[in-house]
Formats: sequence, structure tokens, C-alpha cells
Amino acid sequence: MIKRQIPLMIAFVMGILFIIQFFVPHQLSQDLLTGVNKWLMIIGGISLLLGINSLVHFHYVQIKRETPGWGFSLVMFLCFGLALVAGFLPSIVMWFVEPAKAGAEPVKWLSFIPLIPPFEPGSTLFWIFRNGISPFMATMFSMIGFFIASAAFRAFRARSLEATLLLIAAVIIMLGQTPIGQMLWQGIPDIMVWIFSVPNTAAKRAIWFGITMGTIAFSLRIIFGIERAYLGGTDQK
Amino acid sequence: MSSDIFVWIAAFLTIAIYSFLYKDNPLYKAAEHLFVGVSVGYSIVILYFNVVSPRLLVPLFQEGDWVLIFPALIGLLMVSRFFPKYDWLSRITIAFVLGISTGINLPLIIQASLLKQLQGTMLAMTNLNDILIVVGVFCVMIYFYFSSEHKGIVNSVSKIGILFIMVGFGASFGYTVMARISLLIGRLEFLFHDWIHLIK
Amino acid sequence: MMSYKLSVILTALIIILFLPALAHAQLTPPQEFRAFDTPNDDGKSLSLTWKVSLENDREGVYYVISAAASADGPWYQIDKTLSTIGYKSDFPQYFGFGDDNKLWHFYEASKIPDVMDPITSTAYFRLAVTDGTKTVEFPNMVSFAPQGNWFDKSKINILIFVIIFSSLILFFISLARRNPNLFIRHIPGLDAIEETIGRATEMGRPILYLNGLLDMSSLSTIASTSILGKVARKVANYDSQIKVPCYDPIVMSVCQEVVKEAYAEAGRPDAFKQDNIFFITNDQFAYAAAVDGLIVRHKPAANLYMGYYYAESLLIAETGAATGAMQIAGTDSITQLPFFITTCDYTLMGEELYAASAYLSREPLQLGSLKGQDISKAFIIFVLIIGTIVSTAESLFFIHLFKTF
Repeated sequence: MIKRQIPLMIAFVMGILFIIQFFVPHQLSQDLLTGVNKWLMIIGGISLLLGINSLVHFHYVQIKRETPGWGFSLVMFLCFGLALVAGFLPSIVMWFVEPAKAGAEPVKWLSFIPLIPPFEPGSTLFWIFRNGISPFMATMFSMIGFFIASAAFRAFRARSLEATLLLIAAVIIMLGQTPIGQMLWQGIPDIMVWIFSVPNTAAKRAIWFGITMGTIAFSLRIIFGIERAYLGGTDQK
Repeated sequence: MSSDIFVWIAAFLTIAIYSFLYKDNPLYKAAEHLFVGVSVGYSIVILYFNVVSPRLLVPLFQEGDWVLIFPALIGLLMVSRFFPKYDWLSRITIAFVLGISTGINLPLIIQASLLKQLQGTMLAMTNLNDILIVVGVFCVMIYFYFSSEHKGIVNSVSKIGILFIMVGFGASFGYTVMARISLLIGRLEFLFHDWIHLIK
Repeated sequence: MMSYKLSVILTALIIILFLPALAHAQLTPPQEFRAFDTPNDDGKSLSLTWKVSLENDREGVYYVISAAASADGPWYQIDKTLSTIGYKSDFPQYFGFGDDNKLWHFYEASKIPDVMDPITSTAYFRLAVTDGTKTVEFPNMVSFAPQGNWFDKSKINILIFVIIFSSLILFFISLARRNPNLFIRHIPGLDAIEETIGRATEMGRPILYLNGLLDMSSLSTIASTSILGKVARKVANYDSQIKVPCYDPIVMSVCQEVVKEAYAEAGRPDAFKQDNIFFITNDQFAYAAAVDGLIVRHKPAANLYMGYYYAESLLIAETGAATGAMQIAGTDSITQLPFFITTCDYTLMGEELYAASAYLSREPLQLGSLKGQDISKAFIIFVLIIGTIVSTAESLFFIHLFKTF
């Protein structure tokens, strides 16, 4: 019982405290907010330990059991290690090389490693980002171009009034943004603007009102301890 | 063809990812695992240099800001997940994070989402479009009303609401298509221009 | 003689015509110059006000504000502002919307450069008006010490809304205690979850559940983990399997706890496999690539996407649709809703995501809060209708009640 009551109490007290904080402009209140944001970042940072544990465990099990495709888990470990080494090695080296600046004997056997802090141009991690992560992100993002076409085709096959309306509106917007649209019929750009400013505005605004009311009610449910499923178990427990 | 090794690497990775469009294959699997590994490693480094070191280790051990022991301890409670007997302690961290973020966000939602939107919607109805917007907002909100079954007048009104929603979503869809296609063109340009120089 | 008369008349005419301008050219000392604590702030600035002047407020005339940390000086010019700008009416967050605010100039002094930045203790001010050739000063200096305020009055409307919504929701929760059979309409997407799990069990394939791309501090993620609890309970009852690849470690931890408890409550704690709820990566596209791989390799019979998504939504949902899986999405990400609608069998739109856990739990208190949310929405619709009518009648009073700063 206490294992659930204490967390619920903490959520309640913190929730109410920070609602009050919003209305207090005093410096103490601002400091509290700044401080707690820092705390949340630290907590988030430490929690990555859980993620690393899960990832390592998952792929370790794949390799240990030799499940089909376990070689790819090795690729994962290799790249994971590579990024870590690239990120931390310069700093570790600096620990050894740094005394040289104070006039101490330089550690020669380490000096072949470029001492550029991570993320700065010239560092290995920066290179990995520019030539690995960045093109990968661009490629994944661009794949949506293919997927959006197949999604449109799926909507076309649905043949319901709603799907048809969605497609018609989508086609008008697409045509309205291109010179072809204007060549087909001069009124298309006007219809496009109308769709954006009237039905689109109305729908988005109403959905947004709904989301807002939903989030307000949901927040209150969390603060008052009615929504407690995030602690595990049924709500009545 | 490009003589830049980095262009070749980027092109190889691009093709590896695109090969998934045909079907799942070892090339894609390798690229996928490569990126999972690199991205996690990369984010650990970012987190260490941007958060753990400057916000926790340096202030705590070099500047003597001992108060930071508390968030460190609260964060470390998450590690209790590794010990089944004490794993309930991780709930404290979760409740702490949830309570604070909910408390911070609730008034902000009312301020930024609700009141601002209310102001934007309470328009003077001077033309047909203004009337249509207000009617549209009303019908869509009725569609989401949970306390009455979609029957009779409520059903008719919510049907109009769903028409507004679909046209609105169509607009977003059409708008996004153009943006995504241009990204795709950008990537193809990389392959055919930067890599194999087919397009001059 | 005639020309003499004419010249006199002309001179008289010129004087009559330019008299107001000549009068204007006169500078008069600023009136009722005051310093006071800036309302609704953290105590790091002072407010200065003085009366609008018909003689002074015109093109080419400036107000010069000087400040000192001590009554004896030294004095520093902190600003020189145009006489035709800076009124109390420009700052409704401090002074409201009263008509007489237009009759007062306003200046917020937050620092005396090189002396006090920001202003945290008593500061002294002088005010002068100048047209470049002539300068007239307010006879006295004014002073005040800033104070941090404990309540931001400009946010009172937000406080009232917090109180109204809390009261409505708490009232309906207490009503639900007395009358547990509150009516909530069917939500097809949620009714389909049971069918989806049954289908997965028949096919002997797992169910894939995603929580979106935000961390545990996001309400949509909390809602998603809450729905996961209800789904996992049904999955445990059907003796099926659920896979939850996570984007955030804390979310993963919560999901493990939620699913573990759900299995325990279903009386099958031994069927729970912690390894099925795992962390992939916190990079958007690497996550999408891995989930896509998971979908095509494990071919889940059902994919449930609950939470907040960005551009990866289409990459994942379209891959899922191509494998023939039954898909249910729930998101409050308006920009991604069109893509889920075109690729999923059912989509919970916006607030339906937040209603889902209450709906699935069928617990009276939760349903009561949902009812309270509905009534709050009815209240908003009512406010909108009144606001639109009042706006059409060109009255601003009602609109000002909802103004935020």
C-alpha cells in the first residue's frame, strides 16, 4: 500500500506546488523553477543507464543465443563502441596530456590522438555525425516521399466519403502549390487558400480545444491521484 | 563518379536504407543496427558533455553545489529497477517527474492553448467564412463529445464535424506531400549528382 | 496707407493662424511624475508614470529619464524616449484595460547601467522634457525600492479557469461515486482493441505497442502507458505476447512495471517477459528504422501506436499497413493525424487518446472525470458562442477577460 501511496503523494504535492509556482512572479519562485528544470535534466541523464542496460542486454542475448541475425547485433556493438570511443577518448587523453601545459613532462605516447573536443569540426564524433548520422537522417526522412504516395493510394482505395474528401482536399492543395494547378484552372489557388483558412482552421482549432480540455482533465486526474496506471496495476488498487 | 570517399560512404548508406523499399535484406539490417549503435553512443556522449558533466559533476565536485546530490539520488532510484525487491523505489522518481511536469504544464496549457485559442475564435462574424469557421468549430467539438451517443441531431452535427476534419486533414496531407517530395528529390540529387555525376 | 493696413491684417492673420503652434512650441514641466514597484514581477524593476501633456507630446520632443542609486547622485541618463510613445495603456498586464491608462505615460526602469543592473534596491529618478534646444525638468526627484511580488494579478483569469475545471472534474468524480453508471458513448477505436488482441492470439503472432517519441513528462506518453496497462491485461488474459520497443529509458521502465503488474493481475505473472519491453534508441529515425525492421521481421498481427509522433509516424504506420497488420493509432499530434488516418484501421484523434484509459478502465472515478471534462467542454462552447456574439457587437470587454500575457 505504502509503495503506491508515497509516489501518489509526491505527484500530488509536486503538482500543486508547481501550479502555485506559475502564479508567483517572486524571484524565489523563478529560482525554484530553474532549479527543478535542471534537476529533471539530471534525472533524465542518469536514467539513460537503464536504456544502455536494456540495449546491451537485448543484443547480448541475441549473440549468446545465436538467434538468426545475431551478427547484426555485433554490428550494433561495434558502432556503439566506436561512437563512445570517438566521444570520450579525446577527453581521457586530455587527462594525461593536460599536465604538459603546467610544465610537467608530456605524455608522448598519447599525443598522436587529436585533442579536439567532441562535436567540434575536426573531431571524430563530428565526422561520424556529418558522414554517418546526417545522411542517414536525410535518407530516412526522404523515404517518407515514397510512403506518402502509398498512403494516398490506400486512402484512394478506401472509397468512403471521408477518405474521398481528404483526398480531394489534398489534391487541391498540391495543385494549388504548383504552376500546373494554375494552368488547369485559375481558381485552384483561391480554393486552396479557402480550404486552408476556413475548414482547415475550424477543424484544427476544434481538435486543439479538445486536446487542451483532454490534457487539462488528464493533468488533474494525475495530480489528484485518479490516474495512477503509470505506477502499474489497476486503478482501484 | 565522385572520387570523395565520404560521398561513397554516404551513398552506400543511402542505398542500404532505400533497399528496404523493395524488401527487408541484410544490407538494410546492417545499416539499421549501425545507426542504432552509433545514435545511442552519440547520445550518451552528448548527454555526458551537455548535462551530466556541466550540470551535475562539475557543480557537485568542483563548485560544491551539494544540493545536486538530491536529483542525483532521485535519478539513481531508477536503478532500483535492477533489483526486483526494491524496484518500487523507481516509482518515486517517476511520480516526482510526473508531478512536477504536470504541475508546470497545467497552467501553461490553459494560458497558451485554451485562452489564446478562445481569443482567436471569438471573432466578429462579418462574412460567410467567419460564420463557417465558428459553425465548423462547434460541429467538430460536438463530434468529440463523449456524454451523448451519436444519434439524431447530435449525429447529424457530428457528421458535419467529421467532414470539416477530413478536409482539414486533407489540407495537411497535401501540404506535407510537397515538402516530403522535395526532400526525396534532394536525396536523389545527392545520388545522381554528387555521387555518380549523372545530373550535371 | 492701404499697404500699411494690409500688412497689419496679414500680421494679425499669421499670429492667429500660428498661435496654437507657438503655444505648442512651449515646453511645460512634466506633471505628476511617480515611481512605484512594477506590479506582477520578480522585484527587479520599477515603474515610472507621468501625465500625458498636450504641450509636450509631439514630434521632436523627448522625455529624458535619469537615475541614481543615491539621492545625492551621481545621476545617469538611462533613457531618452519619444514623447509620443509609451503609455500605461500599452501595458494591460500591469494596469488593465481602463480608459484613463491612455492619459499616463509609462516607463519600466530595469537597470542603471554600470551602477545597478538589475535594480534591486531603492533607486532615484528625475524626469525632464526636451525639444533639443530647451529642457524643462520635473521639480522633484522620485524614488522607490522594488519588491518581488507573490501573486501575478495578470494571470488571475488562468487561476479562475484552473479552479473552474478542477471543481467541475472533482464534482463529477464525487457524482460518479454515488452513481457509478455514467453514460459514455462508444469509441470504435477502443472497442476494436479487444478484437485486435483476439485476432493476434488466433494467428499466434505478437502485438506491437509504441508509446510515441516523447518522454515521461509528456501527458500523451502518460496516457499511452496507461492504455498499455489495459491492453497488456487483455493480452495476458488471451495468453498472447506484446512487444514494446521504447524510445525513452524512463518510459521503458514504466512500461515494464505496467505490463508486469497487468500480467500479475491476470493471474499469469510467469508469462511476463521483461525482454519484450526494451529500449532501442533515442534517435528519431534510427528508432523508426529499427521499428520498421521489427515489423517486417516479426510480422505482428496488430500494431498499436499511442502517444505523440513526428515525421516517423508515416514510416512506421505505412510499413505496418503493408504487412497487413490491424492498426490502431491514438495521438494528439495534429500534424501526424492525417497519416495515421490513411494508414490505420482506427485512429483515436486528439482528446480521445486522453479519454482512452478512463474508457477502457470503466472505473467510475475515471469516467466521472471524463464527464467533468465533457461539461468543461460544454462550458467552453458556451463561452465561444457568447464571445462571438459580443465580438460581432463590437464590444471588447468580454474578449479582454481571456487575454493572457
